[in-house]
Amino acid sequence: MARLFAQARFIIGALVFVLALAVALPASAQRNSDGSVNPTASSVKEQQLLGTLQRGGSINGRVSIPDQKSANLIHPGGRDWRHFHEVTLRWIGGIAVLGMLIVLVAFYLIRGQVKLESGYSGRRIVRFNAFERAVHWMTATCFIILAITGLNITFGKPLLLPLIGEGAFADWAQWAKYAHNYLSFPFAVGVFCIFLIWIAGNIPNKVDVEWVKRGGGIVGHDHPPAYRFNAGQKMIYWVVVIGGTLVAASGYLLMFPFYVTDIQGMQLAQTVHAIIAVLFVAAMLAHIYIGTIGMEGAFEAMGEGTVDHNFAREHHALWLEQEMARTGPNESQRQPMATPAE
Amino acid sequence: MKSFLLACMAAVIIATAAGFALSTVQKPADAAYSTTGVRL
Repeated sequence: MARLFAQARFIIGALVFVLALAVALPASAQRNSDGSVNPTASSVKEQQLLGTLQRGGSINGRVSIPDQKSANLIHPGGRDWRHFHEVTLRWIGGIAVLGMLIVLVAFYLIRGQVKLESGYSGRRIVRFNAFERAVHWMTATCFIILAITGLNITFGKPLLLPLIGEGAFADWAQWAKYAHNYLSFPFAVGVFCIFLIWIAGNIPNKVDVEWVKRGGGIVGHDHPPAYRFNAGQKMIYWVVVIGGTLVAASGYLLMFPFYVTDIQGMQLAQTVHAIIAVLFVAAMLAHIYIGTIGMEGAFEAMGEGTVDHNFAREHHALWLEQEMARTGPNESQRQPMATPAE
Repeated sequence: MKSFLLACMAAVIIATAAGFALSTVQKPADAAYSTTGVRL
């Protein structure tokens, strides 16, 4: 009996010793060799951080709220993205938009307005019907608002906020973001309609090569023939169709966060969206220039839907021939004479 | 001018419809990424 008690005492003693050792080990790990407490002993190790940086991954903690993405403590890739949208994008956007403005002002000062060399004949021909103009203006109006509100996201904080103060900037930025989100839908509808209604006239052909070789009538005073859309207009068309599709697709990835892609995918979408958008703005500045003050008689085409015969002859001679053959030589004379939009 | 005004009207109508559609499928960030409980 005494032997049995001795064995039981030994087993219990051994268990207590093991338990005490297990409890003491973590505590000893928190201490330095000299016995002082090391408060960072259980924190993230440098090697772990370096490994995460190399893999492009992230370090996660633990949270109790439903959205487990908030457990992400460090995502080193986010620093590259932050540098892009806080520094690199501003340089790209500034150079693209200001650069284009400088080029256009210089071009206007050197070349001046592209004049209607043979003057107004008084005979008009329909260039764009009401539906085409409505689609153009819906897309254009939305684009201008999207461009202003989009540029506000990139340049508002450094340029506008110091001028109008935090309160006004916060209100403006909030409403600008609503406008940016909601007007993207009519813009996308407009881009799709533009693709459908003008695709037939915007397929590149040999006439475009000759048009480009001869400077398109923009450089110099030559008037290379063109069908309904010349090579310059075709470039704008494809910028709108391809650029518009890319900004819309990347924008909707951002508007529906985490629906389709993860954080890396959204950072990529934002990068694509921003770069295409600032280049798009630069291209549209050129389009607006040549469609208004850059070329005499051009605005009338989209403003009232008709152009003067001499305008059509100088800039779209092949198209005018087609229209004359289709409608007859006297058809166009029935159009009312318009006042030049200058 | 008529085409321009029609275009603006169409843009507003489509944008408003999109706004209503978005509000049915999305929640504001303060609702989507939090709980109703208070944490101290």
